[in-house]
Amino acid sequence: MSTITGQAAGPSAARAVQKKPNIVSRIIKHRADYLYVLPALIVMLVVIAFPIYYTIELSFFRTPPNLQMKDKIWTGLSNYSLVLNSSVFHEVTIQTIIWTLASTVFSFLLGLGAALSLHREFVGRGVLRALLLIPYVISAVAASYVWKWLYHSDFGVIGAISVALGFTDEPINFLDNRQTVLASLIVVNIWKEFSFAMVMLMAGLQTVPDQLHRAAMVDGANTWDRFWHVTFPHLKGVSMVTILLLMVANFNSFIIPFVMTGGGPADASHIWITHIYQLAFGRQQWGAASAYAVILFVVMMTLGYFYVKALTRGDETRQGA
Amino acid sequence: MTNLQGRDMRSGAPIRRQVVAYAIAALTTTSLMSTTAYAQSVDLSQWSPDYIKSIAGTETFDTAGHCADVVPLDYTGRLTYWWTGPTEASPQIEHQINDEFWAAWAKTYPNIETDAQNIDYNQLLDRLRTTLLGNAGPMVVRLQILGGVEFASKGYFQELAPEDIGYPTADFWPGAMKSVTWDGVTYGVPTNNETMAMIWNADIFERAGLDPESPPATWDDVVTYSKTIHDKLGISGYGLVARQNAGNTPFRFMPQLWAYGGGALDEAEASPSYQDSYLDNDGAKAALQAAYDMYVRDKSVPTSALTNTQNENQSPFIAGQLAMMIAHPSEYAKMVDLAGQATGADKEVADTVVANMRYGLIPEGPARRAVVFGGSNMHFINEEYVEGGFDEMAAKAFACFWNSPEWSTKLAWTGSNPGNLAGFKTEWMKERLDTIKFLDVTTSMLPSGIPFPVIPEATEIMNIIVPDMLQNALTERMTVDEAAADAAAKVDALLGGGL
Repeated sequence: MSTITGQAAGPSAARAVQKKPNIVSRIIKHRADYLYVLPALIVMLVVIAFPIYYTIELSFFRTPPNLQMKDKIWTGLSNYSLVLNSSVFHEVTIQTIIWTLASTVFSFLLGLGAALSLHREFVGRGVLRALLLIPYVISAVAASYVWKWLYHSDFGVIGAISVALGFTDEPINFLDNRQTVLASLIVVNIWKEFSFAMVMLMAGLQTVPDQLHRAAMVDGANTWDRFWHVTFPHLKGVSMVTILLLMVANFNSFIIPFVMTGGGPADASHIWITHIYQLAFGRQQWGAASAYAVILFVVMMTLGYFYVKALTRGDETRQGA
Repeated sequence: MTNLQGRDMRSGAPIRRQVVAYAIAALTTTSLMSTTAYAQSVDLSQWSPDYIKSIAGTETFDTAGHCADVVPLDYTGRLTYWWTGPTEASPQIEHQINDEFWAAWAKTYPNIETDAQNIDYNQLLDRLRTTLLGNAGPMVVRLQILGGVEFASKGYFQELAPEDIGYPTADFWPGAMKSVTWDGVTYGVPTNNETMAMIWNADIFERAGLDPESPPATWDDVVTYSKTIHDKLGISGYGLVARQNAGNTPFRFMPQLWAYGGGALDEAEASPSYQDSYLDNDGAKAALQAAYDMYVRDKSVPTSALTNTQNENQSPFIAGQLAMMIAHPSEYAKMVDLAGQATGADKEVADTVVANMRYGLIPEGPARRAVVFGGSNMHFINEEYVEGGFDEMAAKAFACFWNSPEWSTKLAWTGSNPGNLAGFKTEWMKERLDTIKFLDVTTSMLPSGIPFPVIPEATEIMNIIVPDMLQNALTERMTVDEAAADAAAKVDALLGGGL
């Protein structure tokens, strides 16, 4: 605990008085509080901190299939170099960015549209709201299998309908074509998560004061003006959080591409997580997979930083005031 | 054979006489082992459907009596065992035999406390890897044929040969013994072995103008037949499977690759060295070109082949939308089961398909007729990695019992064949041949079986690199030559210690 006893008086003493106690002092001062949370902290250290440490450690080693893990070979940064210089990594990174941005943007826009539509009173609004929530609550694995059969290149329902209606001569090849597979999976992902954006934005819409809308109408604002100048500014905070959460979820996506295509055909639907999984569990390249995971961890932490900043922006403003 | 259980030992008998008696018994046993038991039970050079039928049911075996020579039946000990046994999807008879086995084991060795865990096929390897890291493995494990070498090379397995549990090595398929050998040392006993066969729908063949009773003789014929069927009937000819990271893909593509003279490495040779990749030789390229011709040029195979496993071929086959595919001996039972579940018009179609199902040899190529040699092996874990220590006698008793001609045959009832070749002479093999349709055909493919390379890198080569090669060519991401060269380079890099 810092002390000001015996310090010189004057401006420096005033600064010292204002200086925040350091973390050790705070822990000692609030030791009882910390003792209460100690068991939880220990559990977190074991289940979160240790795996992170072990993954980072493993990323500096090579793990040939003929050696036990305890005999792993130190290779320094070569796993990082191998991953970052691999052409497949570049391809998968581009696919991951496309997957994340497209899924996030379209899920958000679709969710926003749905939220705005459902914000108004109309007959059957509750039923429609429940229906639109179904994709979000359904199991991702089950949804992936359903969509896999809907898309099936030989016997899929969508392909059969498109042929029956005369749109195409033969069933559309959604999943077995390098050009169409990623877009097809993104559609499934948007379908799965737009409801989440919808729910978040519906909550945000509740905070828009109705008086402002009425005042804007009195001032002659049209629908677009009311949305852009009244509604949207109030949704900025929740939109930021929703977009960040969607981006984090999409960077971490696994189930849909893994179940529907396994990353194929010819790596065209691999994203970072599925590729890491393949390196680790398909190829037993634990070191390279760990390096890959650390890279993804850094990206996620960066996103997490902005997420926390967005969440606490109001707190900082209030503290500053 | 001698059953030690319940033997009445006379008290006060002179020790010298006992020693002499034991010595004579030991010499007699050794003599018998060297003259009879170590002779090969079956003649592999005569292997054919007729030969298999002719030897079935010609001998009887006393399992308990034989195992008593390895470990006394009154031995008291403890055993832990992991394997992949019957699942919910398995036929009822598999569950019944499994129950019978454990009851017989408990009756034969009542003093061996047994903890057996039936673990899902897809989880067993990962679970074993994890527990061995924590020195908490079981004493005995049965793994798929390709699974053991990784653990043997890492030093997790004990040396173990059939002779250690009372059976001659000559009574196991040479290919199977190859799969339990790492660096010249034998680390396991083959429990069961099987090969696949070509299945076709005779009705579709007939409607397409092909001989309904003859499968394509060569892989070139497969390409031609597939195109003919597709062009005439508008359905898929051959059930190509090319999904990434799925074991189904190499099990169906490697026979084609080997037949044309290719290989992942030199595993198809008599004495493979596993040093160089054969994935870019002329034979491998010819096989890849044949797959390309069917998928890209002729479009005569399912478009969904790139995301399909064999499971996805079953529905179109039973619906009469697929003419031929490579499948397990148990595929017939599966189709009968599917037909039983169908209703209305679907039922009529399914019944027609089942009635027209035919099994034949997998086609040959310019170099050979080949099929993947499948199965499972039993291994003993090194003591330091076993939870609670290793009980050698209990493990040997169990391995002897499981791999006996009797149980080796019974435990492979619908899906495989006895690893112990003496099992082919049992009454139970005769019963299998009498009750399981096409078993003689699928069993006769065994001599053409080639095991995957017995190196720790085999899993990655077969499940990742080979399917990648197929996908790169079939999606036209690369030409056939480029895809073959890319795959060969990946194998070389992998063997050289690269990523």
